[in-house]
Amino acid sequence: MGSSAAFLRIKGLRKSYDGVDALRGIDLDLEMGDFLSLFGPNGAGKTTLIRIMATLLKPGAGTVRVMDFDMEEHPEEFRARLGVISHQSFLYNDLSARENLEFYAALYRVADPAARAEELLGLVGLSDRADSKVSGFSRGMQQRLSIARALINDPVLLLLDEPYTGLDQSASMLLSGHLRRLHDRKRTIVMVTHDLKRGLEAATKVGILSRGRLVYLKDRAELDPREFEHAYLRYLKGVPDA
Amino acid sequence: MRDALLIARKDLLAEYRKKESIVSMVFFGFLLLVMLNIAVGVGRELDGEMAAGILWVSIIFSAVLGLGRVLSKEKENRCIDALLLSPVEPEQIYAAKTMVNFIFMAVAEAVLIPAFFVLYGDRFARQVPMLVVVVLLVNIGFSTVGTLFSAITAGTRRNEVLLPLLLFPVITPLMALAVKVTGGLFEDLPYREYSSWLYVIAAFGLIFSGVGYLLFEFVIKEG
Repeated sequence: MGSSAAFLRIKGLRKSYDGVDALRGIDLDLEMGDFLSLFGPNGAGKTTLIRIMATLLKPGAGTVRVMDFDMEEHPEEFRARLGVISHQSFLYNDLSARENLEFYAALYRVADPAARAEELLGLVGLSDRADSKVSGFSRGMQQRLSIARALINDPVLLLLDEPYTGLDQSASMLLSGHLRRLHDRKRTIVMVTHDLKRGLEAATKVGILSRGRLVYLKDRAELDPREFEHAYLRYLKGVPDA
Repeated sequence: MRDALLIARKDLLAEYRKKESIVSMVFFGFLLLVMLNIAVGVGRELDGEMAAGILWVSIIFSAVLGLGRVLSKEKENRCIDALLLSPVEPEQIYAAKTMVNFIFMAVAEAVLIPAFFVLYGDRFARQVPMLVVVVLLVNIGFSTVGTLFSAITAGTRRNEVLLPLLLFPVITPLMALAVKVTGGLFEDLPYREYSSWLYVIAAFGLIFSGVGYLLFEFVIKEG
């Protein structure tokens, strides 16, 4: 058991690719219901961190625990409670929106896949296109459907990797609305983004990852947006680590 | 097995809609049969083993076309990540993809083998039920190895080139056995003449099912 009731605990997380360090010892605790927005320049290790948290990558060292489950020891249990939204849609182009959702619902052993798919199609405003093939969808529609896909298992931990990339205004608002509602329902959210405005508006914690290190982490309530913007710009310009 | 069947069903539904893989496999296999028929001389009497060689070259080369597509389809929109993110065990994904490759091969063979009899003579159609058994056993061997190797190459840039380069050396023994047994069938030899080779074909499929099942997770996941 952990020493406190941290919902998500990352300790000493390291990862390198061909000798190049992508993550250089990340430590992070999140409580249930926290919404962490993580910023950082390109190549800072944000996507690597998300992929390790999602069990898609093995860490070089360190651990990730959710509700005291070690993700490496219990990957299936861990993944059953996880949702991921990326700039990739994770959707099958040759299947309809409904077929995609029903397929994923069945994989996650949702009790009534058809009903869950119908419910989520309504939630993302795609009921009228439920039986159209995904290949005919616009980028915004695909991203709305991918939001529905990520929510299919009603995840307790949601990981978002640049979810606003390529979204139009209405799809961005829809995503922000869903994130707010999930946060209201005490879901824990980790979002990697370059979008300062959207990243700050919903977050309860804000962090900056630079050169594989978590160099900045503060509660949103304690944060002065101007001071944060200034700090972020410094890291974007490549200020050496302290 | 439930998850493997779900994934396989999804793949078969997508193929039923587009018919990309099977149509190209059948067309390519048929072209090979025709070209090899011209190469050996139209109407020339072939011995059983040579005819079996022609049949298996056409089947295996056409099967490689479908093999590459089954996993590369999952790379579109990074759907493979979504499968790996789900509670499904990677071994179930391997079982599903092996099943799909097996079915694609079987469907292509259902067209190519009758076409072979038409082009090369129905005198080879002597022990058809046993030929079906041989074909299904070879399909198991090919799809178990092929699925593993297509997973290895699916993430590479030169997937289509790399897959046959890696795969063919491994399946050459299977191909040789298939030719030997099928040649025996075409010559109408008694079962005892080729039965030992048949067991080796079955063992090949069994061994590579185990190897694929154990290794697939390490192959499909990023380090």
